[in-house]
Amino acid sequence: MKMKKKNITLVAICLFAVLMIPLGCKKDFLTQTNQQYSTATGAFTKSQDVVALVNSIYDSYQNSDLMKKSIWYYANFFTHDWYNDGADVAWNSYTISPTFGAIDTFWKNAYIAIARANSVFDIVATAKAKGVVTPELANRLMGEAYFLRGMTYYYLAGTFGGVPLELKPGGTGLTPRSTQDQVFAQVVADMKQAEGLLLSKSTLPAAELGRATKGAAYGYEGAAQMWLKKYDLALAAFNNSELTSNYHLMPNFVDVHEFNHQNNDESLFEVQFDLPAGASQSWDGGWQNGGEIAWIDDFSWPHEISGFGYDYGNPGLWYSYQAGDLRKVLTIIGPGDEIQSPGIIAKWGGIKGYAVVQAGFANNVKDNASQTYSSYKGDDDKIINTCGALRQPWYGDDLTRSGYYCAKKWRDPNLTGANGDSKIFGSQNQILLRYAEVLLDRAECKVRTGDIPGAMADLKLVRDRAFGGTAPAVMQDGLTYDGKPTTPITDPMQMVLSEYRHELSGDYSLFYNLRRAGGTTPGQVARDFIHANYGTTDNLNPQPYPYGPTADGKLHGVWRTSLPVGHDICPIPQPEIGLNPNLTQNPGY
Amino acid sequence: MNKDLLFNKFNSGKKTLLVFLFTLVTCFAAVAQTRQISGTVSDADGTVIPGAGIKIKGTSTGTVTDVNGAFKLAVPDNATLVVSFVGYVTKEVAVGSGSVYNVKLAPAVSNLSEVVVVSVGYGTQKRTDLTGSISSISAATIAKLPVTSVEQALQGRAAGVQVTNNDASPGGNVSILIRGTGSLAQYGNSPLYVVDDYPLETGGINNINPNDIASIDILKDASATAIYGIRAANGVVIIKTKKGKKDGTVVEFNAYSAFQGKPKEYKLLNAQQFATLANDQAANDPVKQFTTLAAWANPQSLTNADWQNALYRSGLTQNYNISIRGGNDKIQSSSSIGYYDQKGIVIGSYFKRLTLGINVDYQPTKWLKSSTSAKYSYQDSNNPFGTGSLGNLAQLPPTLDGGSNVTSQISDGKGNYGFFNPVYTYVAKYNNPVYGINTNQYKNISQFFNTNSSLEATLIEGLKIKTAAGITIGASNNAYFQPEDDRLVNQYGSQAGATQNAFFNQSLNTAFDWLWENTLSYDRTFGKHTVNFVGGVTEQELTNNPFSGSGVPPNAQIRDISQVSNLKLGTTAQNIQSLASQFVRLGYNYAGKYFITGTVRRDGSSKFDVGHKYGTFPSGAVSWKAKEEDFLKGVDWLTNLKFRGSYGEVGNEGPIGLFQYEAQFSSGSASTNSGNLGYPFNKVYQVGIAATSPENPNLRWETDYQTDIGADMAFLHGDLSLTVDWFNRRSKDFLLYIATPPQTGYTNESLNVGSMTNKGWEFALNYSHATSSDLRLGAGLTISFITNKLTGLNSGSTFITNPLNNPNGAVNLNGQGWTVYSETHIGQAVGEFFGYKSLGIIQSQAQIDALNANASAKTNGVNKFYYQALTGPGDRLFADVNGDGVVNASDQVSLGNPQPKFFGGLNLDANYKAWDINLYFYGSYGNKILNYAESNQETFQNRGFVGIENLSQEYYKNAWTPSHPSNEFTRIYYNDNSYLNSVPSSQWIENGSYLKLKTLTVGYTLPGEMVRKLSISKLRIYASTQNLFTITKYKGLDPEIGTQGGFGTQNGIDNGTYPSSKYFTVGLNVTF
Repeated sequence: MKMKKKNITLVAICLFAVLMIPLGCKKDFLTQTNQQYSTATGAFTKSQDVVALVNSIYDSYQNSDLMKKSIWYYANFFTHDWYNDGADVAWNSYTISPTFGAIDTFWKNAYIAIARANSVFDIVATAKAKGVVTPELANRLMGEAYFLRGMTYYYLAGTFGGVPLELKPGGTGLTPRSTQDQVFAQVVADMKQAEGLLLSKSTLPAAELGRATKGAAYGYEGAAQMWLKKYDLALAAFNNSELTSNYHLMPNFVDVHEFNHQNNDESLFEVQFDLPAGASQSWDGGWQNGGEIAWIDDFSWPHEISGFGYDYGNPGLWYSYQAGDLRKVLTIIGPGDEIQSPGIIAKWGGIKGYAVVQAGFANNVKDNASQTYSSYKGDDDKIINTCGALRQPWYGDDLTRSGYYCAKKWRDPNLTGANGDSKIFGSQNQILLRYAEVLLDRAECKVRTGDIPGAMADLKLVRDRAFGGTAPAVMQDGLTYDGKPTTPITDPMQMVLSEYRHELSGDYSLFYNLRRAGGTTPGQVARDFIHANYGTTDNLNPQPYPYGPTADGKLHGVWRTSLPVGHDICPIPQPEIGLNPNLTQNPGY
Repeated sequence: MNKDLLFNKFNSGKKTLLVFLFTLVTCFAAVAQTRQISGTVSDADGTVIPGAGIKIKGTSTGTVTDVNGAFKLAVPDNATLVVSFVGYVTKEVAVGSGSVYNVKLAPAVSNLSEVVVVSVGYGTQKRTDLTGSISSISAATIAKLPVTSVEQALQGRAAGVQVTNNDASPGGNVSILIRGTGSLAQYGNSPLYVVDDYPLETGGINNINPNDIASIDILKDASATAIYGIRAANGVVIIKTKKGKKDGTVVEFNAYSAFQGKPKEYKLLNAQQFATLANDQAANDPVKQFTTLAAWANPQSLTNADWQNALYRSGLTQNYNISIRGGNDKIQSSSSIGYYDQKGIVIGSYFKRLTLGINVDYQPTKWLKSSTSAKYSYQDSNNPFGTGSLGNLAQLPPTLDGGSNVTSQISDGKGNYGFFNPVYTYVAKYNNPVYGINTNQYKNISQFFNTNSSLEATLIEGLKIKTAAGITIGASNNAYFQPEDDRLVNQYGSQAGATQNAFFNQSLNTAFDWLWENTLSYDRTFGKHTVNFVGGVTEQELTNNPFSGSGVPPNAQIRDISQVSNLKLGTTAQNIQSLASQFVRLGYNYAGKYFITGTVRRDGSSKFDVGHKYGTFPSGAVSWKAKEEDFLKGVDWLTNLKFRGSYGEVGNEGPIGLFQYEAQFSSGSASTNSGNLGYPFNKVYQVGIAATSPENPNLRWETDYQTDIGADMAFLHGDLSLTVDWFNRRSKDFLLYIATPPQTGYTNESLNVGSMTNKGWEFALNYSHATSSDLRLGAGLTISFITNKLTGLNSGSTFITNPLNNPNGAVNLNGQGWTVYSETHIGQAVGEFFGYKSLGIIQSQAQIDALNANASAKTNGVNKFYYQALTGPGDRLFADVNGDGVVNASDQVSLGNPQPKFFGGLNLDANYKAWDINLYFYGSYGNKILNYAESNQETFQNRGFVGIENLSQEYYKNAWTPSHPSNEFTRIYYNDNSYLNSVPSSQWIENGSYLKLKTLTVGYTLPGEMVRKLSISKLRIYASTQNLFTITKYKGLDPEIGTQGGFGTQNGIDNGTYPSSKYFTVGLNVTF
């Protein structure tokens, strides 16, 4: 091939020019589409996507650090009705470190829930404008976002005091804390929005069971109004027919927490869990992350049954129930008590049916080498069917538990704990708010506004159920924590507080309600109430049982530390102060 | 084309070599008629050199030697012959009256040889004309060391390049840092590899057979690297593979076998000691919590489980390479086949690689040229025990419980494997790793194919246009099968849990990229002015297609994802990245003395948002060849003196993932246990969707600003050369995945947050001298001093830590207090160790009582204890650094840095007659090691879990007891996690300086006459040993510990990596 140089040059330059042009002109060459993750424009083109966006807010609550180690611990450990055994014993003496990991997880999940809620409003509005969702569905979804945001602020402010208010998406996260009142005012505002937008319980389709309803919004609005001391407004919320017509006390107290009565008629809002048939029991996140299963329930079971036993009860709570109060063993079960859960009895025939009990009885197993008797023999040397024996309570492998355990959390018949075939994770929902609490809240509002007869009527509703028909006219605890006789409770406010304790201990509410009652200094009413019930002192160490059939003079994990001023709220998690220097720590931490 | 005589000669004469096709073209030049001379060209030991060039000085007349190294040439009177061959020092021979001239050439030892042409990216330059800082490594250097990968060949050979074998697993796990750490992102410090002009994005550099490499040029300063713009911040390694020569054919066969000894082992307790210790602990446990297994009651009856002995074996490596290279004026080709097969020293570990390579260059006319290169690699490798897991081996209790059914041996050779009693909680978490390695089945295949073709036309003198296109395909296909396991259930019933289902996982990943580049270059000299220019446009598009699935197969035979139950699929989304760039480099020199170069690259990348897609990376450099000045020309002792200076900006987009600029919505995983975003309404799961990563429209590449000042010197007529460089590399906007306030809706975000500097000096000294034709001595030394410093963070924090929450690939250090073990504050070098200061051991109760009393007094009773409530005699005494009476998190201090003060390599070469010897040392000075493995062997409780683990003999024998006090070793306690003695502290920080004799090679080249009868032009046999000795004070197994998981902040942590051991290699190099 011969070619004149001039021609070569010409051809080459043309060629080069041609080669260069397409490269320069293809502007979209550097634009790629994400095929793994959706963008806001890519998603939300179908109504179920928009629903899914709202579902993800609920998902933030499927976290055991948030549910159990933050809200439940706060509601129950701070009252001294319950104690921790394990890594979190600082709760027993009110010495929680700002670096305690679970409250940081709580904070993180809560704000992620809030951010997800904040992202809903624009996206739903756009979807509604485009006809992706119907106006009715748009309303419900917006309502759920308002509700969940408000509820999250409710628990944040209840636990930490004032927290930063984030109400729009895309913030820098450097907002300083608002006051506690400002946050509860926001809760009220959000709940009011939700009340107008949500479906009524009566119209919510069965398939959507577990979603927020108008009634739940009124329940939280009322509670938030109480934090703001606006008892009239609270009463108005509690008296709304969405609440009073659609929710009822379960006739039998035992059914309130039963596994086969989840989402029952009394429940205003409960966090849903689900373990589908055949699903994994693996440890790859059942505690921490956004799964569908939870370890919350058997976490509390006696070590002798579950291998856990990470929280346990104060015998003083057990003593304090008035004679005839059915709630006693359905709340706190101790040595000599048979389990009363119908579900457990149906499945296992009681405690004696668990494989670990049967094998332990057969092999004379002791949970602790220094025990005198087999852990699985009753006082009669037969196989045990009670939560430990009187002669040797279930103190656990390290003898540091009281022998009393939470019967409200011992209801899921599918669980076995870490023994046998190791069913640890289950699908028991966790009730955050139920109608009995609304009635007690309403009683407090009536006391506060001078309607004592009205208050007594509300208390009676709750107490009658507790006593299986008609409650004794006189309200009087069984025994004091140190085994002494009691005197009748006559002060209306003290009656309400006592009912909060006996109805709601082991639920997700009690200390929130006690702190909300206020006092001359923050938490004064709660402090006095706990002191009156447990004779608290400044001692930071566990104490021997002062009284009881099992008192052996040794330490079995009972604290009687006074609630220090300022420690009625949790510390702001230290990592969050590190990330947002505008956060101030609560005084005293 | 004239037929070659030799072809016939081979056909007729040497049947054994028929498999090789030889073509050899000898160029006969037309020469003015004078007189005929002849001769041979050979090397110092008499081996003939075919293809050597013989030129008459001052003319273009010449010839090349034939296959026997012989030549004939007509020469005028008083001519001088210039005899040259690549890899040898060019020699001038004056033609006298004789007619036979046998010329011996000395090998060129210097990497910095004057004649060397250096790849600078989109072109080459003579080394003497460089303005930037570039280190080069020749094929001859690589050939001396039996290495698996290119990276290993770089170690110690190039100043400023720190290469660390992170572990010694087959296939190699090597980290490479060019001029220090500039990024903190995972694998954020990898250089760009450009292989035969193709920037490698798909498939790793270990797909390239080191035997095929002709040259490696390492572009270090910004002036040199800027032509690669946004991918250049960590330096650029340009690799050229061997091509055929225009004249002659060379067939090479290289082979070696290497025997690898078992590694050093930890000295641990045997079964008898372990059980005795456990019994003692149980007897002394005040609360009787700790019990032992019934079988341990009689330690003498126990079978010892020596895990290290069971897991380690001797290894064997075989490596074969054969190549044929040659051509004529118009076509040159090279083809090679390589096979590498290593059986690792940990059972189940191996690495096999088959490589094929072809290079074809075709120049049909004077003005048109094409070049095509194709490479294929097939790898089959496995490392079932994992690299960091070997530290865990030392934890395993040295005795097994076979139960009544099986065996108490690790393996009884009949298919039975002992196990740890699953009911006894103190050993329940352990598995017998030999069981898994022997019964699980693995197949990890990866394939790599790269081809690149270019067409270049010379338009007018010096002006060329070129278009090049190529593709790379990387495909991996991994399968893993784990059989059903019911051993424990059979033995212990349901107490031991459920039968473990069989499991099968298959993953396929196809990565593909294409490249198209068009360049225009101009290179001409006008009088004293020389200009060169290259400019071009390039596009590259990368596509990645993953697929993986796993589940329970229906039986032990089926390996089919479509038939498994509990199917779980991994991500299968295709993702694409595109890059579009323009670049230009302009060079000018005046009179060969004053050089100036300017380079700009404008890179566009789809990784960034609209408006931020393009980055521009400029650089400039000057150099001055002082030696060429009149006042130095006559200075005889100074052979060369050149000064260089450069400044430039380059980018690093490597750490940035795709689409990080936009908010990404996801529904999480489908798992019911974790990670999903949905929720069950009425106990029926509904999907949830949420934004799981935030938008970051301002996301930028990391940028390096680098200044370099250097000098090249040569003395002793070129025998001694020295290159010195000072550099200041300032890395800005480095990317970090950092915690963000959750009020944003996210807990973490990747942001451009910080800056750091690497300043340093590099020295490369080379010496080569032939004292006689029989003896030649050479030495090469590289030393690099690099000071790394974190200079700024705009995230609000003043420090960075080791990666938290165990991201993929990171080292997982278990144990109380081990979440953070590295904290680098502004002003410190990255990777700084962080923890408590150990002051020894608490000797008495009185001592701790006093400390506790002081703590109580100083804190007004808030803290009653100096350290832990449990602390007593025999526990570690940590320093109360801030003097507040208590030891807590605020008493943690910086404990030392894993980065060396300097590092370098020393090569010593000698050739005497037919013998050659090479010693290669590599060393590092001033680096600290965090000996986590040691801390693990000084705890009886299993880190972070319930249970006990094995101890070192040293600890066992020297542990503190009241009657045998120690100020170094704590007391032994079965529950010692809660005593917090083994938290990160100065106790575990050791001096990691070392000097290793990496290689010692002795070779012998058979005499030329002997091998010539076999038509072999050269036959060298050699024996080599690697890792013969290490001089170090480090107490662990091997002080050569690099970064782990690709994290710059996880450096120098010894958690028991795959150990290195001695190799003994024998090999041969044959050239036909």
